[in-house]
Amino acid sequence: MSVSQSVSWFFPELLLAFGALAVLVVDLLVTKHRKKIAVVIGGLFVLLALLKSESAASEHSGVVALFSGMVVLDPMAFFFKLIFGIAVLVTLFFVYRSAESPEANSGEFVTLLVAVTLGLFLMGAASDMVMMYLSLEFVSLCSYVMAGWSRKDRRSTEAALKYVIYGGVASGVMVYGMSLLYGLTGKTNLFEIRDALAASAPSQLALTLSVVLIIAGIGFKIAAVPFHMWCPDVYEGAPTPVTAFFSVGPKAAGFAMMIRFFYTTFVDATSWGSGTELVAVGGAPWPLLVGIIAAATMTLGNFAAITQNNLKRLLAYSSIAHAGYMLMGIASMSRQGVESVLFYLGVYLFMNLGAFLVVIAIRDHTEGEGIEAYRGLSQRQPFAAVLMTVFLLSLTGVPPFAGFIGKFYLFAAVLAKGGFYYYLLAIIGILNSAVSLFYYARIIRAMFLEEPVVRAPVGLPLPYRVALVALAVPTVVLGIFPPLLSDLTQVSVGALGVVTTGF
Amino acid sequence: MLSSYLPVLLMIVAGIAVAGGMLALKSLLGPRNATPEKQKPFECGRESTGSAHARFSIKFYLVALLFIAFDIEIVFLYPWAVVAKGLGVVGLVQMGVFLGVLVLGFIYVWKKGALEWD
Repeated sequence: MSVSQSVSWFFPELLLAFGALAVLVVDLLVTKHRKKIAVVIGGLFVLLALLKSESAASEHSGVVALFSGMVVLDPMAFFFKLIFGIAVLVTLFFVYRSAESPEANSGEFVTLLVAVTLGLFLMGAASDMVMMYLSLEFVSLCSYVMAGWSRKDRRSTEAALKYVIYGGVASGVMVYGMSLLYGLTGKTNLFEIRDALAASAPSQLALTLSVVLIIAGIGFKIAAVPFHMWCPDVYEGAPTPVTAFFSVGPKAAGFAMMIRFFYTTFVDATSWGSGTELVAVGGAPWPLLVGIIAAATMTLGNFAAITQNNLKRLLAYSSIAHAGYMLMGIASMSRQGVESVLFYLGVYLFMNLGAFLVVIAIRDHTEGEGIEAYRGLSQRQPFAAVLMTVFLLSLTGVPPFAGFIGKFYLFAAVLAKGGFYYYLLAIIGILNSAVSLFYYARIIRAMFLEEPVVRAPVGLPLPYRVALVALAVPTVVLGIFPPLLSDLTQVSVGALGVVTTGF
Repeated sequence: MLSSYLPVLLMIVAGIAVAGGMLALKSLLGPRNATPEKQKPFECGRESTGSAHARFSIKFYLVALLFIAFDIEIVFLYPWAVVAKGLGVVGLVQMGVFLGVLVLGFIYVWKKGALEWD
């Protein structure tokens, strides 16, 4: 579609851009209740953008390529917009309530958060390598500043600096990989690259190298081994609301980009009909590469989490491990695999944000992030202790919680693929789940079986209680009745392979 | 496909050859007599004083960054001004939106006190 036609489909993104500016200006004008006003305006625009995306998604059918194929409007892009929207709205609530967010800079922070939502929307829809790179940089640049939000805190500043340096290198490596792919095919649009690869097989060495380099860039965003080194330090140093956002928003966007890149560029579009095996295009061994990274990521994430005593650091390693599980689904190179990744992301959104909300609530009251702050929590604040247990058990993958269904789908997709290599991957994944029980159970044990250091009860304000319940309900309901989400993921994946030409 | 990149390869080889050749010639032909004066950091022929790693205020960076942001704005204005008549009202409105966003930034910078030196 031409630029002028595309704009009418682009209202959600325009709303977000306008919203970011509006928050910035209003924050300059008001003097009282600055944080409240910024959060309300920011939240309103994100909500409007979500509603507009919903109406756009119901208006068009199939795939619409906008701006000469830079971004696409398809059901999967809409699914990810939902995930990003919910993650940002919950983060805005964290920012509003958390004692860690200072009143003075809240306007700038909300501006960044609304702007990063725009970046995430673009990442989820990017179908051109130029747009992929630009949106990734957009999200990264906002993230660097957000990580260093507590300027007076040395750890926060250190986290931001580490993030910048690591991110700069990773995106440089990725753009080099993209230049190789461009050199091989002469195209930047993913659909056109696919057609070019199908028409003539390029040099395997150069193609593999370019895929490896591009994986490095996306792997940095989702914190996959060996590009994960920034993750624990940044998660620990950044303010907790920011950490909670990083662990779901940009991570989900990285997965969206990875799915779109691999399943558009290297899969024959005509093989997307249900029930058939996907046919590879170009011959790059990306399922093998992603599979190896998946195994390494979950193993390192889980084993490194065992010895952590700081809850934020522990959840950082746990989020690395979860990225590993989801990579398994991508490596399976099947429709079912992609569906299971989307389902897992949807579930992970609720259970991980829930766990972080408990961390924020406890930190607000006790100033503690270490595991000792959780000792005897069942006596000091039973409500939070019980819900934390729900979130942790769901993260472990214990029935009847949603995390179990998510893992079940992932393993089912890998096993359905069959063959020695996929069985091995599934066994590694199942062993890793067992390991993860150990460190999640350590927190549960501390909360219920150990005596508290301080006996005084921990206060939990009503908004926190409401938010905790709101996050716990999907975690439980999706575990008992998964079709609520799996129907949506099926629709979302359906149009992924549609041939889009004639931009 | 790859063979069409041969000129790029030749260019890289030529670049390395020229740069490497100059360095090699210099070390082969140039005289070497290192006096203490020649080892000092260069300071316009004057006797050098103080450390070469002097610290100066971060305010300079801030002013430099702001200068670049608003300088680029002018760079966009020139080509627009040349064809402004042809673009008509639509062009005027578009440039107005562009400048409007920049003015918001300007107000932000002003209000935050980034233009104050002290």
